[in-house]
Amino acid sequence: MKDIDLETYKSAWKDERGFDHRVLSETEIKKVLNKKSKSITSLFRLGLTIDIALKLILGISFIGIIWLFFNDPGVIVLGIVSIVMIVSLLIFQIKTYKKIPQEKGHPESLRNLLESKINFYRLRYFKSVYIVAFSNPLIFISGMLYYFYFKYGEIRPLQIDDYLVFSAACIIGFAFGAFVQIKQYNFQIRQLEVCLTEIDENTINELTLKKLNKQRLRVFVIFILVLVLGLLLLTLILS
Amino acid sequence: MDKSQREKEFLDSIKAHQNIIHKICFVYCRRKSDKEDLYQEIILQLWKSYPSFNNRSAFSTWMYRVALNTAITMTKKNWLFTETDKLPDISAENENMMELSEEIRILFKAISQLEKVEKAIILLWLEEKSYEEIAETIGITVKNVSVRLVRIKAKLADTIKKLQ
Repeated sequence: MKDIDLETYKSAWKDERGFDHRVLSETEIKKVLNKKSKSITSLFRLGLTIDIALKLILGISFIGIIWLFFNDPGVIVLGIVSIVMIVSLLIFQIKTYKKIPQEKGHPESLRNLLESKINFYRLRYFKSVYIVAFSNPLIFISGMLYYFYFKYGEIRPLQIDDYLVFSAACIIGFAFGAFVQIKQYNFQIRQLEVCLTEIDENTINELTLKKLNKQRLRVFVIFILVLVLGLLLLTLILS
Repeated sequence: MDKSQREKEFLDSIKAHQNIIHKICFVYCRRKSDKEDLYQEIILQLWKSYPSFNNRSAFSTWMYRVALNTAITMTKKNWLFTETDKLPDISAENENMMELSEEIRILFKAISQLEKVEKAIILLWLEEKSYEEIAETIGITVKNVSVRLVRIKAKLADTIKKLQ
Protein backbone atom coordinates (compact mmCIF):
# COMPACT_ATOMS: atom_id res chain seq x y z
CA MET A 1 0.00 0.00 0.00
CA LYS A 2 1.47 3.36 -0.98
CA ASP A 3 2.24 6.10 1.58
CA ILE A 4 -0.28 8.89 1.93
CA ASP A 5 0.89 12.36 1.03
CA LEU A 6 -1.27 14.72 3.11
CA GLU A 7 0.00 17.71 1.14
CA THR A 8 -2.11 16.48 -1.82
CA TYR A 9 -5.19 16.66 0.39
CA LYS A 10 -4.13 20.02 1.70
CA SER A 11 -3.95 21.38 -1.86
CA ALA A 12 -7.33 19.83 -2.68
CA TRP A 13 -8.75 21.51 0.44
CA LYS A 14 -7.32 24.85 -0.64
CA ASP A 15 -8.63 24.58 -4.19
CA GLU A 16 -12.04 23.18 -3.32
CA ARG A 17 -14.83 25.47 -4.52
CA GLY A 18 -17.67 23.33 -3.14
CA PHE A 19 -17.47 25.16 0.19
CA ASP A 20 -18.57 28.37 -1.49
CA HIS A 21 -21.76 26.92 -2.94
CA ARG A 22 -24.08 28.52 -0.41
CA VAL A 23 -23.32 32.19 0.12
CA LEU A 24 -25.89 33.96 2.26
CA SER A 25 -27.12 37.33 1.18
CA GLU A 26 -26.96 40.38 3.45
CA THR A 27 -30.70 40.06 4.21
CA GLU A 28 -30.29 36.39 5.18
CA ILE A 29 -27.39 37.23 7.53
CA LYS A 30 -29.44 40.04 9.07
CA LYS A 31 -32.25 37.56 9.75
CA VAL A 32 -29.78 35.26 11.54
CA LEU A 33 -28.65 38.17 13.75
CA ASN A 34 -32.20 38.50 15.10
CA LYS A 35 -32.41 34.85 16.16
CA LYS A 36 -31.86 33.55 19.68
CA SER A 37 -28.59 31.86 20.56
CA LYS A 38 -28.76 28.14 21.36
CA SER A 39 -25.55 28.08 23.39
CA ILE A 40 -25.47 26.65 26.91
CA THR A 41 -24.71 30.16 28.23
CA SER A 42 -27.86 31.59 26.64
CA LEU A 43 -30.00 28.75 27.96
CA PHE A 44 -28.61 29.28 31.44
CA ARG A 45 -29.20 33.02 31.22
CA LEU A 46 -32.83 32.41 30.21
CA GLY A 47 -33.37 29.93 33.06
CA LEU A 48 -31.92 32.39 35.55
CA THR A 49 -34.14 35.24 34.26
CA ILE A 50 -37.24 33.07 34.67
CA ASP A 51 -36.20 32.12 38.20
CA ILE A 52 -35.57 35.76 39.20
CA ALA A 53 -39.05 36.66 37.91
CA LEU A 54 -40.60 33.70 39.75
CA LYS A 55 -38.90 34.63 43.02
CA LEU A 56 -40.14 38.21 42.69
CA ILE A 57 -43.71 36.89 42.30
CA LEU A 58 -43.16 34.62 45.31
CA GLY A 59 -41.96 37.58 47.37
CA ILE A 60 -45.13 39.51 46.47
CA SER A 61 -47.22 36.45 47.27
CA PHE A 62 -45.69 36.23 50.80
CA ILE A 63 -46.39 39.94 51.34
CA GLY A 64 -50.01 39.07 50.48
CA ILE A 65 -49.95 36.23 53.02
CA ILE A 66 -48.74 38.59 55.79
CA TRP A 67 -51.55 40.98 54.90
CA LEU A 68 -54.20 38.24 54.88
CA PHE A 69 -53.06 36.62 58.17
CA PHE A 70 -52.31 39.88 59.94
CA ASN A 71 -53.75 38.57 63.23
CA ASP A 72 -51.73 35.35 63.21
CA PRO A 73 -48.20 36.01 64.60
CA GLY A 74 -46.97 32.55 63.54
CA VAL A 75 -47.80 33.16 59.87
CA ILE A 76 -46.36 36.68 60.03
CA VAL A 77 -43.05 35.26 61.29
CA LEU A 78 -43.18 32.60 58.56
CA GLY A 79 -43.91 35.28 55.92
CA ILE A 80 -41.06 37.51 57.10
CA VAL A 81 -38.61 34.58 57.21
CA SER A 82 -39.68 33.57 53.68
CA ILE A 83 -39.34 37.12 52.33
CA VAL A 84 -35.88 37.51 53.87
CA MET A 85 -34.89 34.18 52.34
CA ILE A 86 -36.30 35.11 48.92
CA VAL A 87 -34.47 38.45 48.95
CA SER A 88 -31.16 36.73 49.86
CA LEU A 89 -31.66 34.14 47.12
CA LEU A 90 -32.56 36.89 44.64
CA ILE A 91 -29.35 38.76 45.46
CA PHE A 92 -27.35 35.58 44.85
CA GLN A 93 -29.14 34.93 41.54
CA ILE A 94 -28.62 38.50 40.32
CA LYS A 95 -24.91 38.27 41.21
CA THR A 96 -24.72 34.93 39.36
CA TYR A 97 -26.41 36.52 36.34
CA LYS A 98 -23.78 39.23 36.28
CA LYS A 99 -21.01 36.62 36.47
CA ILE A 100 -22.18 34.55 33.49
CA PRO A 101 -19.19 34.31 31.12
CA GLN A 102 -19.72 37.06 28.59
CA GLU A 103 -19.90 36.16 24.93
CA LYS A 104 -19.01 39.70 23.91
CA GLY A 105 -15.27 39.33 24.22
CA HIS A 106 -14.21 35.80 23.33
CA PRO A 107 -11.03 34.97 25.29
CA GLU A 108 -7.85 34.76 23.31
CA SER A 109 -7.66 30.98 23.28
CA LEU A 110 -10.03 28.04 23.26
CA ARG A 111 -8.38 26.71 26.41
CA ASN A 112 -9.09 29.91 28.36
CA LEU A 113 -12.69 29.96 27.17
CA LEU A 114 -13.29 26.35 28.22
CA GLU A 115 -11.62 26.92 31.58
CA SER A 116 -13.68 30.03 32.36
CA LYS A 117 -16.93 28.31 31.35
CA ILE A 118 -16.21 25.14 33.34
CA ASN A 119 -15.14 27.10 36.44
CA PHE A 120 -18.30 29.19 36.28
CA TYR A 121 -20.64 26.22 35.86
CA ARG A 122 -18.91 24.02 38.42
CA LEU A 123 -18.45 26.65 41.13
CA ARG A 124 -21.28 29.15 40.70
CA TYR A 125 -23.88 27.35 38.63
CA PHE A 126 -24.35 24.36 40.95
CA LYS A 127 -25.22 26.65 43.86
CA SER A 128 -27.62 28.48 41.59
CA VAL A 129 -29.35 25.21 40.62
CA TYR A 130 -30.26 24.52 44.25
CA ILE A 131 -31.50 28.08 44.63
CA VAL A 132 -33.72 27.61 41.57
CA ALA A 133 -35.02 24.37 43.11
CA PHE A 134 -35.86 26.24 46.35
CA SER A 135 -38.69 27.94 44.47
CA ASN A 136 -40.68 24.68 44.45
CA PRO A 137 -41.12 24.29 48.26
CA LEU A 138 -41.77 28.04 48.52
CA ILE A 139 -44.52 27.79 45.88
CA PHE A 140 -45.99 24.83 47.77
CA ILE A 141 -45.94 26.65 51.13
CA SER A 142 -47.46 29.87 49.80
CA GLY A 143 -50.06 27.90 47.80
CA MET A 144 -50.95 25.91 50.91
CA LEU A 145 -51.39 29.09 53.01
CA TYR A 146 -53.60 30.72 50.34
CA TYR A 147 -55.65 27.53 50.15
CA PHE A 148 -56.19 27.55 53.93
CA TYR A 149 -57.19 31.21 53.86
CA PHE A 150 -59.71 30.99 51.03
CA LYS A 151 -61.13 27.63 52.13
CA TYR A 152 -61.22 28.04 55.94
CA GLY A 153 -60.23 31.66 56.59
CA GLU A 154 -57.52 30.41 58.99
CA ILE A 155 -54.73 27.85 59.40
CA ARG A 156 -56.43 24.63 60.47
CA PRO A 157 -54.79 22.73 63.35
CA LEU A 158 -52.42 20.26 61.78
CA GLN A 159 -51.57 16.73 62.97
CA ILE A 160 -48.14 15.16 62.93
CA ASP A 161 -48.97 13.17 59.77
CA ASP A 162 -49.99 16.43 58.02
CA TYR A 163 -46.55 17.82 58.77
CA LEU A 164 -44.96 14.68 57.42
CA VAL A 165 -46.96 14.89 54.17
CA PHE A 166 -46.25 18.62 53.70
CA SER A 167 -42.56 18.17 54.49
CA ALA A 168 -42.32 15.27 52.06
CA ALA A 169 -43.98 17.41 49.35
CA CYS A 170 -41.48 20.22 49.98
CA ILE A 171 -38.47 17.87 49.90
CA ILE A 172 -39.71 16.08 46.77
CA GLY A 173 -40.37 19.44 45.08
CA PHE A 174 -36.86 20.62 45.92
CA ALA A 175 -35.13 17.35 45.00
CA PHE A 176 -37.05 16.99 41.73
CA GLY A 177 -36.30 20.59 40.71
CA ALA A 178 -32.59 20.20 41.45
CA PHE A 179 -32.40 16.77 39.78
CA VAL A 180 -33.99 17.97 36.53
CA GLN A 181 -31.73 21.04 36.35
CA ILE A 182 -28.56 19.11 37.13
CA LYS A 183 -29.39 16.39 34.61
CA GLN A 184 -30.14 19.00 31.98
CA TYR A 185 -26.73 20.66 32.15
CA ASN A 186 -24.41 17.92 33.42
CA PHE A 187 -24.09 16.27 30.04
CA GLN A 188 -23.11 19.50 28.34
CA ILE A 189 -20.64 20.51 31.05
CA ARG A 190 -19.01 17.09 30.85
CA GLN A 191 -18.49 17.60 27.12
CA LEU A 192 -16.71 20.88 27.82
CA GLU A 193 -14.54 19.10 30.39
CA VAL A 194 -13.66 16.39 27.88
CA CYS A 195 -12.45 19.09 25.46
CA LEU A 196 -10.35 20.78 28.14
CA THR A 197 -8.86 17.45 29.16
CA GLU A 198 -8.11 16.80 25.49
CA ILE A 199 -6.27 20.12 25.19
CA ASP A 200 -4.28 19.41 28.34
CA GLU A 201 -3.66 15.85 27.17
CA ASN A 202 -5.32 14.20 30.20
CA THR A 203 -2.72 15.53 32.58
CA ILE A 204 -3.42 18.60 34.66
CA ASN A 205 -7.18 18.51 34.97
CA GLU A 206 -7.65 15.26 36.84
CA LEU A 207 -6.99 16.93 40.21
CA THR A 208 -8.94 20.08 39.37
CA LEU A 209 -12.01 18.08 38.36
CA LYS A 210 -11.81 15.99 41.54
CA LYS A 211 -11.63 19.17 43.61
CA LEU A 212 -14.60 20.69 41.80
CA ASN A 213 -16.68 17.53 42.27
CA LYS A 214 -15.89 17.56 46.00
CA GLN A 215 -17.09 21.16 46.20
CA ARG A 216 -20.30 20.21 44.40
CA LEU A 217 -21.01 17.50 46.98
CA ARG A 218 -20.39 19.97 49.81
CA VAL A 219 -22.84 22.45 48.30
CA PHE A 220 -25.46 19.70 47.94
CA VAL A 221 -25.13 18.66 51.61
CA ILE A 222 -25.36 22.30 52.77
CA PHE A 223 -28.55 22.90 50.80
CA ILE A 224 -30.20 19.71 52.07
CA LEU A 225 -29.36 20.74 55.67
CA VAL A 226 -30.81 24.22 55.08
CA LEU A 227 -34.00 22.69 53.67
CA VAL A 228 -34.45 20.27 56.59
CA LEU A 229 -33.82 23.05 59.13
CA GLY A 230 -36.30 25.28 57.30
CA LEU A 231 -38.97 22.60 57.45
CA LEU A 232 -38.36 22.05 61.17
CA LEU A 233 -38.73 25.80 61.69
CA LEU A 234 -41.96 25.79 59.70
CA THR A 235 -43.35 22.96 61.83
CA LEU A 236 -42.44 24.84 65.01
CA ILE A 237 -44.07 28.06 63.79
CA LEU A 238 -47.31 26.46 62.65
CA SER A 239 -47.77 24.13 65.64
CA MET B 1 -18.93 54.56 14.43
CA ASP B 2 -22.73 54.28 14.68
CA LYS B 3 -24.63 51.00 14.85
CA SER B 4 -25.76 50.86 11.22
CA GLN B 5 -22.24 51.60 10.00
CA ARG B 6 -20.83 48.91 12.30
CA GLU B 7 -23.46 46.45 11.08
CA LYS B 8 -22.68 47.24 7.46
CA GLU B 9 -18.97 46.72 8.06
CA PHE B 10 -19.69 43.44 9.87
CA LEU B 11 -21.97 42.15 7.11
CA ASP B 12 -19.40 42.98 4.43
CA SER B 13 -16.67 41.15 6.34
CA ILE B 14 -18.89 38.11 6.91
CA LYS B 15 -19.89 37.99 3.25
CA ALA B 16 -16.25 38.09 2.23
CA HIS B 17 -15.24 35.28 4.60
CA GLN B 18 -18.31 33.04 4.62
CA ASN B 19 -16.38 30.05 3.34
CA ILE B 20 -14.49 29.90 6.67
CA ILE B 21 -17.77 29.27 8.50
CA HIS B 22 -18.84 26.73 5.86
CA LYS B 23 -15.58 24.83 6.35
CA ILE B 24 -15.94 24.75 10.14
CA CYS B 25 -19.56 23.56 9.88
CA PHE B 26 -18.41 20.97 7.34
CA VAL B 27 -15.81 19.59 9.75
CA TYR B 28 -17.98 19.62 12.90
CA CYS B 29 -21.43 18.60 11.62
CA ARG B 30 -22.84 15.77 9.58
CA ARG B 31 -26.48 16.68 8.97
CA LYS B 32 -27.58 19.64 6.92
CA SER B 33 -29.87 20.88 9.72
CA ASP B 34 -27.00 20.73 12.24
CA LYS B 35 -24.77 22.63 9.86
CA GLU B 36 -27.43 25.34 9.60
CA ASP B 37 -27.76 25.49 13.40
CA LEU B 38 -24.03 25.80 13.89
CA TYR B 39 -23.77 28.31 11.04
CA GLN B 40 -26.36 30.56 12.70
CA GLU B 41 -24.75 30.19 16.12
CA ILE B 42 -21.34 31.17 14.71
CA ILE B 43 -22.77 34.27 13.00
CA LEU B 44 -24.51 35.24 16.27
CA GLN B 45 -21.36 34.77 18.32
CA LEU B 46 -19.30 36.71 15.79
CA TRP B 47 -21.79 39.58 15.97
CA LYS B 48 -21.76 39.54 19.78
CA SER B 49 -17.96 39.46 19.83
CA TYR B 50 -17.53 42.00 17.04
CA PRO B 51 -17.04 44.97 19.40
CA SER B 52 -13.96 43.17 20.78
CA PHE B 53 -12.39 42.88 17.31
CA ASN B 54 -9.68 45.51 17.29
CA ASN B 55 -7.95 45.07 13.92
CA ARG B 56 -4.75 43.93 15.67
CA SER B 57 -5.12 40.59 13.91
CA ALA B 58 -6.61 39.90 10.48
CA PHE B 59 -10.39 39.56 10.39
CA SER B 60 -10.07 35.96 9.19
CA THR B 61 -7.79 35.02 12.12
CA TRP B 62 -10.22 36.52 14.61
CA MET B 63 -13.09 34.82 12.81
CA TYR B 64 -11.41 31.40 13.02
CA ARG B 65 -10.92 31.87 16.74
CA VAL B 66 -14.52 32.81 17.55
CA ALA B 67 -16.00 30.27 15.12
CA LEU B 68 -13.90 27.39 16.44
CA ASN B 69 -14.65 28.39 20.04
CA THR B 70 -18.34 28.28 19.16
CA ALA B 71 -18.17 24.96 17.31
CA ILE B 72 -16.29 23.25 20.14
CA THR B 73 -18.30 24.68 23.04
CA MET B 74 -21.70 24.32 21.40
CA THR B 75 -22.95 21.13 22.98
CA LYS B 76 -26.22 19.33 22.65
CA LYS B 77 -27.77 16.44 24.47
CA ASN B 78 -28.66 14.52 21.32
CA TRP B 79 -26.28 12.78 18.95
CA LEU B 80 -25.38 16.00 17.14
CA PHE B 81 -21.89 16.62 18.46
CA THR B 82 -21.18 13.26 20.01
CA GLU B 83 -18.44 11.11 18.64
CA THR B 84 -19.34 8.03 16.69
CA ASP B 85 -17.45 5.02 15.46
CA LYS B 86 -19.60 4.77 12.38
CA LEU B 87 -18.58 6.57 9.24
CA PRO B 88 -21.05 9.24 8.18
CA ASP B 89 -23.71 8.14 5.75
CA ILE B 90 -22.97 10.40 2.82
CA SER B 91 -26.14 9.73 0.88
CA ALA B 92 -28.54 10.41 3.73
CA GLU B 93 -26.78 13.06 5.73
CA ASN B 94 -24.56 14.97 3.39
CA GLU B 95 -26.45 15.75 0.26
CA ASN B 96 -24.00 18.59 -0.42
CA MET B 97 -21.03 16.22 -0.19
CA MET B 98 -21.67 14.95 -3.69
CA GLU B 99 -20.65 18.36 -5.03
CA LEU B 100 -17.20 17.95 -3.48
CA SER B 101 -14.16 16.32 -5.00
CA GLU B 102 -13.20 12.72 -4.18
CA GLU B 103 -10.17 13.83 -2.11
CA ILE B 104 -12.28 16.15 0.01
CA ARG B 105 -14.86 13.45 0.66
CA ILE B 106 -12.14 11.04 1.80
CA LEU B 107 -10.56 13.78 3.89
CA PHE B 108 -13.94 14.53 5.50
CA LYS B 109 -14.43 10.87 6.41
CA ALA B 110 -10.96 10.75 7.96
CA ILE B 111 -11.39 14.04 9.86
CA SER B 112 -14.73 12.88 11.26
CA GLN B 113 -12.80 10.16 13.13
CA LEU B 114 -10.78 12.77 15.05
CA GLU B 115 -11.56 14.31 18.46
CA LYS B 116 -12.98 17.85 18.61
CA VAL B 117 -9.71 19.61 19.44
CA GLU B 118 -7.79 17.50 16.91
CA LYS B 119 -10.30 18.63 14.28
CA ALA B 120 -9.60 22.26 15.16
CA ILE B 121 -5.82 21.77 14.91
CA ILE B 122 -5.96 19.97 11.56
CA LEU B 123 -8.44 22.50 10.18
CA LEU B 124 -6.07 25.34 11.02
CA TRP B 125 -3.20 23.39 9.44
CA LEU B 126 -5.25 22.82 6.27
CA GLU B 127 -5.92 26.54 6.21
CA GLU B 128 -2.16 27.11 6.24
CA LYS B 129 -2.08 28.87 9.59
CA SER B 130 1.34 29.12 11.22
CA TYR B 131 2.22 27.03 14.29
CA GLU B 132 2.20 30.27 16.31
CA GLU B 133 -1.35 31.08 15.19
CA ILE B 134 -2.56 27.55 15.92
CA ALA B 135 -0.92 27.66 19.37
CA GLU B 136 -2.53 31.01 20.13
CA THR B 137 -5.99 29.94 18.96
CA ILE B 138 -6.03 26.67 20.91
CA GLY B 139 -4.08 27.86 23.95
CA ILE B 140 -1.14 25.45 23.82
CA THR B 141 2.58 25.90 23.19
CA VAL B 142 4.13 26.01 19.69
CA LYS B 143 6.13 22.89 20.56
CA ASN B 144 2.96 21.13 21.57
CA VAL B 145 1.36 22.09 18.26
CA SER B 146 4.20 20.52 16.30
CA VAL B 147 4.11 17.31 18.37
CA ARG B 148 0.35 17.03 18.07
CA LEU B 149 0.30 17.76 14.36
CA VAL B 150 2.72 14.89 13.75
CA ARG B 151 0.40 12.60 15.70
CA ILE B 152 -2.81 13.85 14.07
CA LYS B 153 -1.34 13.67 10.57
CA ALA B 154 -0.24 10.07 11.19
CA LYS B 155 -3.74 9.23 12.42
CA LEU B 156 -5.29 10.94 9.42
CA ALA B 157 -2.95 9.24 6.93
CA ASP B 158 -3.69 5.88 8.51
CA THR B 159 -7.47 6.41 8.22
CA ILE B 160 -7.19 7.64 4.61
CA LYS B 161 -5.11 4.56 3.74
CA LYS B 162 -7.87 2.35 5.12
CA LEU B 163 -10.54 4.30 3.24
CA GLN B 164 -8.82 4.09 -0.15
